[in-house]
Amino acid sequence: MTSLVVGPRAQVGRRLLRSSPLTVTVSFVFVGLLIFLALFGPLLAPHGSESLNLATGLTTPNGEFWFGTDDLGRDVFSRTIYGVRYALFGPVLIVVGAFVIGNVLGLAAGYRGGLLDASIMRWVDLMYAVPGLLVTIVLIGVLGASYLLAVVVLVVLTSPFDTRIIRGVTLEQRSLPYVEAARTLGLPVRAILFRHIFPNILPISFANAFLNFAFSLVALSALSFLGLGIGPGTADWGRMLSESRLLLFDNPVAALAPGGMIVLTATSMNLIGDWLYDRLADRGRAR
Amino acid sequence: MSSNAEPLRGVDANGSLLTAVGLAIHSRIGGDQRTIVTNLDLSLNEAETVGIVGESGSGKSMTARALVGLLPTGLSARGEVRLDGSNLLEMSQRELSRIRGSEIALVLQDPFTMLNPVTRCGDQVADGLVDARGRRLGRRTRREEAARRLAEVGIPETVDRYPFELSGGMRQRVAIAAALAGDPRVLIADEPSTALDVTTQGEILALLKSLQTSRSMALLLITHDLRVAFSTCDRIYVLYAGSLLEVGDASAVEAEPLHPYTLGLLLSEPPADRRLTELVAIPGSVPAADDVATICPLAPRCQWAQPKCEVTNPPLKPVGAERLSACLRIDEIRAEMRSLRHHAERPAVVHHPAEASVPLVSVDNLQKTFADASTRRGSAPVIALGGVSLTVGVTESVGLVGESGSGKTTLARCLVGLETPTAGAITIDGVDASNYGSLSADHLRQLRRTVQIVFQDPYSSLNPLRTVGSALKEVLELHRKRSRNLEGGVAELLEQVGLPASFSRRKPVALSGGERQRVAIARALAVKPRLIICDEPVSALDVSVQAQILGLFRTLRDELGVGYLFITHDLAVVRQVVERVYVLYRGEVVESGPVDAVLDHPQHAYTVRLVESVPRSASQQRPMR
Repeated sequence: MTSLVVGPRAQVGRRLLRSSPLTVTVSFVFVGLLIFLALFGPLLAPHGSESLNLATGLTTPNGEFWFGTDDLGRDVFSRTIYGVRYALFGPVLIVVGAFVIGNVLGLAAGYRGGLLDASIMRWVDLMYAVPGLLVTIVLIGVLGASYLLAVVVLVVLTSPFDTRIIRGVTLEQRSLPYVEAARTLGLPVRAILFRHIFPNILPISFANAFLNFAFSLVALSALSFLGLGIGPGTADWGRMLSESRLLLFDNPVAALAPGGMIVLTATSMNLIGDWLYDRLADRGRAR
Repeated sequence: MSSNAEPLRGVDANGSLLTAVGLAIHSRIGGDQRTIVTNLDLSLNEAETVGIVGESGSGKSMTARALVGLLPTGLSARGEVRLDGSNLLEMSQRELSRIRGSEIALVLQDPFTMLNPVTRCGDQVADGLVDARGRRLGRRTRREEAARRLAEVGIPETVDRYPFELSGGMRQRVAIAAALAGDPRVLIADEPSTALDVTTQGEILALLKSLQTSRSMALLLITHDLRVAFSTCDRIYVLYAGSLLEVGDASAVEAEPLHPYTLGLLLSEPPADRRLTELVAIPGSVPAADDVATICPLAPRCQWAQPKCEVTNPPLKPVGAERLSACLRIDEIRAEMRSLRHHAERPAVVHHPAEASVPLVSVDNLQKTFADASTRRGSAPVIALGGVSLTVGVTESVGLVGESGSGKTTLARCLVGLETPTAGAITIDGVDASNYGSLSADHLRQLRRTVQIVFQDPYSSLNPLRTVGSALKEVLELHRKRSRNLEGGVAELLEQVGLPASFSRRKPVALSGGERQRVAIARALAVKPRLIICDEPVSALDVSVQAQILGLFRTLRDELGVGYLFITHDLAVVRQVVERVYVLYRGEVVESGPVDAVLDHPQHAYTVRLVESVPRSASQQRPMR
């Protein structure tokens, strides 16, 4: 009879999203477009990403240069397309890295408990106490600006949050009868963790990965903007934003295009993550 | 709507206090509308106790809520609910809230969540009280009034206590006192005793009954338990899949049920005073109201169903003095039903297997204490088991009876290595199983193949994402490595628990509670164990399904020779399955022996209390036929 009662999970926000999957469809189309551009963008871009055209100089959007050009005469439209690769590559690396570390450590800590749990969680506590951005800036300041270094640092900074989340949901699953039944049946720990518990916590780790993507994209762009990520002149959205901010009154599109792309990509990923969570959490859940 | 216009006979129109006519409840979730209850007529007279009996999904709780206008969001009621001539369903929330508490009050099932945890019990009871001029009572009068009300339910000392300081039974008493604070004329109690321990259940029902008599108020008792209804109520409404199937005087219904469903329910409820040769179970499970909207709701599960039963949803019609039945064929099958009952209620003899020289499981002075976080601050650790000794012979079935907190589940968990005992010894099949962590791989495998466990909650004991087939195959792979025909093994296991092989492709979500419990049993059987520990395996199931599962346990035993350690709080259930029984009380065995001897002639005071708390009506107290 309880299944008839509308539970707290059917919150208004969730229901809105579910009843209007248009936002999700649009997000999927947008992300699909991004992936396509990441693969084939260079073939489609009307101009090269680095090709200077000092003769043209700064122009506003026109027939040849759809988004106009920057002060070095580089085509903003082409550079935005080239930027997709950096926008996807770094965050994907961070997400995958944090996903693997967070899930492995979280499952181990939550299932095993004891000393292992205590050591992992103290490491997590330590990482929580570290001021992330500050450490990144100092590290990169000492070791020199590099895109890959920024990625690695962000993986290390993100994974404690994943670990804590995964540990929590693992603890919750661990005490359920189906896990205890698997234990009494003598299934090996590996099978219990990866065949039984992991699929059941997948919705949360997936949704979390998408949120991480959005966070990583913004963080990487911010580092680029500050000059701590990718090298100068590269067609990276954060870089472009930083280099074009002085041109705001001459060709506003040069700054708005990369900025807008960052916002749209992050938002799409968040929406997809939320939608995916709802979908995955539903499988096998209803009584 | 008007198919059921037949007025209730024998009910004095002036005497009835609360009436429902053509009450229908629908839910609307997203776009689809579902029927919960259709066309329900009900009347409640002054100073009368009426029971609505039904299994889960019958719509009984929603009926209770509809009567007081407290349906959850998404559900709506149509029809008429009349109190003093006015229709409650047409009232505004404001008018309703005036009626609730002062005219009709509601007591809910779960005493643990029903009370506000941060308010003292006295305040919860007296909060809504007003004086003659409608003003809120002063502080001192309020406290005195609260104490007086709590004394009425037998716990005056709780005025200044918080709910968390009280036991479940005491909380339910507080809830009853709070419901009665406005001196209502009608009290609706929705499964008021279900969440409580057996001994407390009886006390709460007795309390409700005595309050009903002393206040001469009308009591509407919602329950899934026919025994409770028979022992407490004057009249009974049997609800099934949203339709009423039978209405009548409680003693008359008990003497001769006039609908196959009522008979099935009565027969599938195991009696506490004898073991039956075979429990008659209604096959299948309760359908959704919409699936049986145009046929007799019971037709798919009824042994007497004929084509004409599947043409319309039959209305209630009179079948005797103050009796209504919705069975089309009742006149034809009445004699058959009578003889079925006569056969089904014959007692069976308990066969005791020959005493084996070495028991399969022997537990010696087992102790388990839990040191939880609070103990760090100096309070004593919780003693779950205080020195328990028991033995289970080869192919023997042993019962472990006790209330919640008696340590019975802890014992089961120690036996299969989910907990490690603090002290004492467990020997299983010659292997020292006191500490699973220190066992060699060979011994561990031997133990796993000897003892398996089936859990209480069928909804969480299967991985929701894996199909039945893959869950079973996984175990077969592990324990029967040499066998090539795993698919055949899965089919065989499913057949053993009475499920078609096609179920292997289903996921747990597509199974009913009873079917899930069957799968859980099949999974335990996959290792060919010699003993299955059953931790309350039927208490989460509906009565009609419970009888099926109990029947399955018996069949498996006859066919496979598997023994059980059957853990339950239900004496009637334990009587049907085991030969010997241990009574556990606060972590200690207080009595043990053959099941007949212990239940018929209990020696220990606690066992006596346990046996007496089983609800019995007049006829069940007669000696055995």
